[in-house]
Amino acid sequence: MMKPSPIAVVLAFAVAVFLLLPLIAVIPVSFTPARFLSMPTGIWSLRHYQALIDNPAWLQATGLSIRIGILSSGIATLLALMFSLGIWMFRPWFSGLLFGFVLLPMVAPPVVSAITLYFFLIGLSKINSIVAYDTWIGVAIAHAVMIAPFAVVMVTVSLSQVDRRIDLAARGFGASVGQRVFKVILPTIRFGVLTAFFLSFVLSWEEIGVTLFITSIDAVTLPRMMWMGLRDNIDPAIAAISVILIVVVISAVLIKTAIAQREKM
Amino acid sequence: MHGGHEAAEITAAGIGKAYGDFHALSDISLTIGSGEFLTLLGPSGSGKSTFLMILAGFEEPTSGKLHKDGLDITRVPAEKRAFGMVFQGYALFPHMTVEQNIAFPLKVQKRSARDIKRRVDDMIARVGLRGHEHKRPAGLSGGQQQRVALARALVFEPSVLLLDEPFSALDKNLRGAMQEEVRRLHQETGTTFVFVTHDQSEALALSTRIGIFNQGRLQQIGTPKDVYERPANRFVAEFLGDVNFLSLSSVKPTDDGAEGLFEGRPMRISAPGQAISAQFAIRPEHMVLFEQAPRDGNMLQATIGDVTYLGAETRFSLKTPGGIDLVLQMPTREVTGAFAPGRSVWAGWPANQGFFL
Amino acid sequence: MTLDRLKPVLLLGPLVLFLGLAYFVPFLGVMQWSVTLPEPGIGQYGKAISDPLIHSVFLRTFRICLIVTVASVVCAYAITYVWVRGTPLQRLLTELCILIPFWISVLTRAFGWVALLSNRGLLNTWMQSLGIISEPLTMVRNEFGVVLGMTHFLIPFAVFPIASAMRSLDERVFLAARGMGASQMRTFWTIFVPITLPGILGAGLMVFVFALGFFITPAILGGGRSVMIAELIYLRIFQSPDWGLGAAVSVLLMVFVGVLLALLVRFVRPNRMLG
Ligand SMILES: Nc1ncnc2c1ncn2[C@@H]1O[C@H](COP(=O)(O)OP(=O)(O)OP(=O)(O)O)[C@@H](O)[C@H]1O
Ligand SMILES: [Mg+2]
Repeated sequence: MMKPSPIAVVLAFAVAVFLLLPLIAVIPVSFTPARFLSMPTGIWSLRHYQALIDNPAWLQATGLSIRIGILSSGIATLLALMFSLGIWMFRPWFSGLLFGFVLLPMVAPPVVSAITLYFFLIGLSKINSIVAYDTWIGVAIAHAVMIAPFAVVMVTVSLSQVDRRIDLAARGFGASVGQRVFKVILPTIRFGVLTAFFLSFVLSWEEIGVTLFITSIDAVTLPRMMWMGLRDNIDPAIAAISVILIVVVISAVLIKTAIAQREKM
Repeated sequence: MHGGHEAAEITAAGIGKAYGDFHALSDISLTIGSGEFLTLLGPSGSGKSTFLMILAGFEEPTSGKLHKDGLDITRVPAEKRAFGMVFQGYALFPHMTVEQNIAFPLKVQKRSARDIKRRVDDMIARVGLRGHEHKRPAGLSGGQQQRVALARALVFEPSVLLLDEPFSALDKNLRGAMQEEVRRLHQETGTTFVFVTHDQSEALALSTRIGIFNQGRLQQIGTPKDVYERPANRFVAEFLGDVNFLSLSSVKPTDDGAEGLFEGRPMRISAPGQAISAQFAIRPEHMVLFEQAPRDGNMLQATIGDVTYLGAETRFSLKTPGGIDLVLQMPTREVTGAFAPGRSVWAGWPANQGFFL
Repeated sequence: MTLDRLKPVLLLGPLVLFLGLAYFVPFLGVMQWSVTLPEPGIGQYGKAISDPLIHSVFLRTFRICLIVTVASVVCAYAITYVWVRGTPLQRLLTELCILIPFWISVLTRAFGWVALLSNRGLLNTWMQSLGIISEPLTMVRNEFGVVLGMTHFLIPFAVFPIASAMRSLDERVFLAARGMGASQMRTFWTIFVPITLPGILGAGLMVFVFALGFFITPAILGGGRSVMIAELIYLRIFQSPDWGLGAAVSVLLMVFVGVLLALLVRFVRPNRMLG
C-alpha cells in the first residue's frame, strides 16, 4: 500500500478546511444579538433561535416540507421500484430507451425542468385546486418527478447486485410474479429500497430549484422560506435554522459512520 | 423408494436456439426416458446450459418442439412446468433459512402447513442437514449449500430434475461425496434427472445415458459404455479420454468385423454392427504390455519411451517401428522390471477391443 | 397468456405514464415554443446565436463552468487520494469532511459563504479589526463568489467517480513501479494519475454538466451581477416574457448537455462509476 505523502495530506487537509469553512462560519453569526445580520462582537444571544420559535411560519414550513417529502419520496420510490423491477425481471428490448426517458428530469438543466413543471402545474390549476400551482400536493408531485430518476438509479443499482439465478429458481418452482417480487426479490433489496426512500426524502427536503418556480405564498417549504430570507435583507434567523440543519446532518452522518465502523470490527 | 414422484418422459425434436446470427444450438433431437439419469457433456460454450434452460422453460427455442409425456410444452413458461432445478452456484435465497429455502416450492404450491413441515423435515434428514435448519446460506459450507439446493429442488417431487454443473465449485473429495448423494437420491426418488457437466469421469460414473454436445450439436447419445467404447466420431472419442489411432491398409470386411494390415502386421478386429473404415482406434487402457509376443489377439511391437507412475495405473509412451506414437496404460501391479524405457516390448489387445472411426 | 403479457406493462407503465404526463408532455410543450413563438420558424435560434448579450452570457457560463470544473476536480482528487489511501484515521476524517457538506442543502452552504465573505462578513470584519485592510474586500456578489460557491458545492460530487477509479486500482502496479526504483512522486504522476484518468474525466464531465444548469448558487452569491445561462432562461421566461427565445436557449443548452452526456457514457461508462 502506497501511503499518501505529507504533501498530499496537507493538500487534502486544505480541501477539508475549505469544505467545512462556510459551515463553521454560520455558527458565530447565529448567536449575535443584533436584529440584522451582523458579526459577533463578544455578546452572545439566542434571539435568532427564539425568533424561529416565535414565528409560526418556520414551524409550518418545516411541517410542510416533511409532508411533501414523505408524499413525494413515497410516490417516487414506489413508482421507481415498480419500474426497476419491471426492467430487471422482463428485460424488454427497449429498456435503454425507457431508462433514457425516465432519467430525463435528472439530466436536464434544473431551470428547464422548473419551467416545464411550472407550466404543467399552471395548466392543472385551471381545472382543479388540489394538484395545482402553489399547493402542497402540486409541489409533492413536482418533487416526485424530479427525484424519481434518482430513486430509479438507486433501486437499479441494488437490483444489479441480486443474483439473477435466485429469481430463475423461484420461477422454476412455479412462483408467480407476485411471489417472486414479494418473497424473493424485495427481501434481498429491502435495504436498497429503504436507502432510495431516504435519499428521495432528503432530495425533496432540500429541493429549491424547482420549488422556487411553483410556489408563491401558500406552499412555502423550508428551503423556500430560507430563500426569501436570503434574497434581499438577510434575516439572521437563517443563520439559526442553518445551524440547526447542520447539527442534524452532522449527527446523522456521525451515527451512520459509527454504525459502519462498528460493523467493520 | 419414495412415493409420489411421477417421473416424466421428455422428447426434444429439432430444437434450435439462435442469438442473432449465432447458433447456440442446432437441431437437437433426443428422448429422455422416464426415470433416466441423462448427463449432458461437452466443452465450455457447447450449448449445454442453453439446452437445459430450454428444457426448464427459461428460454424459448427458436425452432423445434418439446414434449412432456406426449404433450407439447414448447411454449409453456418455466412457472407452469415446475421442473426442479439446481443451479451452478446454488442460487439459494440469501434471506431465508435452510428450512425456509426448502419449504419455498411447497409454499408456492400452497400445500398445508402440516404437509410442508413433514416433507421439509423428511428432506432435511435425507440430505443430512439436521441441526442446520435455522442457518442462512451464508453460514453454510459449500457442500451444505449444495445439499440445500438439492433438497429444495427435490422437495416438491418434480417429475424432472435439472442440474447445471452443480458440483463445479466443490473440491475433489466433496465432489465425490456429492456424486454419491445425487446417485442415491436418483435411485430413491425415481425422478428423471438431467445433469450438465463438463467433467467426463463424473458423466461416466453417474449416468444411465450421456449426450455429448459440441458447437451446439448433439454428437452422440448412449450409455456410458457405448459412448466410451463405440464413439460415433473422433470428437466424442477424444473428448471422453485418450485414444490411439492406427491407420490400417488392405482392409477387408469379415463375418463379424474386418481385417487389415498395420505396419505389415495382420490385425483382426471383431466389431459387429460397426461401419468399417481404415481408421482404427484403441484406448490406452485396453492394451496390455507383454515381454514376448502373445499367443493370440492383436499385437504390435514397440519401444518404450517414457514411463509415468500414476498410482494404481502406470502409463507408457510407445513408439512403433514405423514411427507412430502410442499411449498405453495398465495396472501398476502388472508392471514388471522388463518394462523400462528403451526396452522393446509387445502391446496386445483382444480382437473385440477398439473401434473404427 | 394475455395477463402474463400485461404484467411488464403494469410494472413499467405507472412511472412512464407519470413522467410522460407530468414532465415529458409539458417539456415538449415548452420546447416547441422555440419554433412557434412569437411566430413559427427558426428565427429564435438565429437570434439566440447572434444576440451579443446571449453570446456573452454563454461565454461567461462556459468560462465559469470550466474554472469550477478544474478547481473542483483538483480539490476532489487531493481529498479523495487521502480518503482512499490514507491511514484509518485520515480516512475517517476525510470521509466526514466529504459527507457532511454533501448532505447539507445548497442554501445553507451558500449562506455560509455570504456570512464568511460579504462586506460585513466574518473575514472582512476580522481583517479590518486586525488592520490588514482598511476597506472591505468584495468577495461575494461577483464572479469570484459564484466560482467559490459552485466549487464548494460540486467537490463532493466529483469525489465519487474519482474514488471508484482509485479503488479499482491494482495495488501490484505500484509495487512493480516502486520495485523498479521509481520514486513515490514519479509513481504518482506517471502511473497513478494516468490510470485514474477515466475517473478524472468522468468527474470533470459530470461537474461541468451540473455547473451548466446552476441557478441557486449564482443567484445568491452572484447578486445578479454575473448572469449565467440558467438565470438568462429564467429572465426570458418570467421577467420579460420572451418565451420563444427562452425556449430556444433552453434547447441549445439541452443539446449541449446531451452531447456531453453522450461523451460521458461513451468514455467513462457510468455503470462502472456507480459500483
Ligand atoms: N443470451 C445470450 N446471447 C448470446 N449468446 C449466448 C447467450 N447465451 C449463451 N450464448 C452463447 O451460446 C453458447 C452456448 O452457451 P452455453 O452457456 O449453453 O454453454 P455451456 O455449454 O453451458 O458452457 P459452459 O460449460 O461454459 O457452461 C456460447 O457460445 C454462449 O456465448
Ligand atoms: Mg453452462
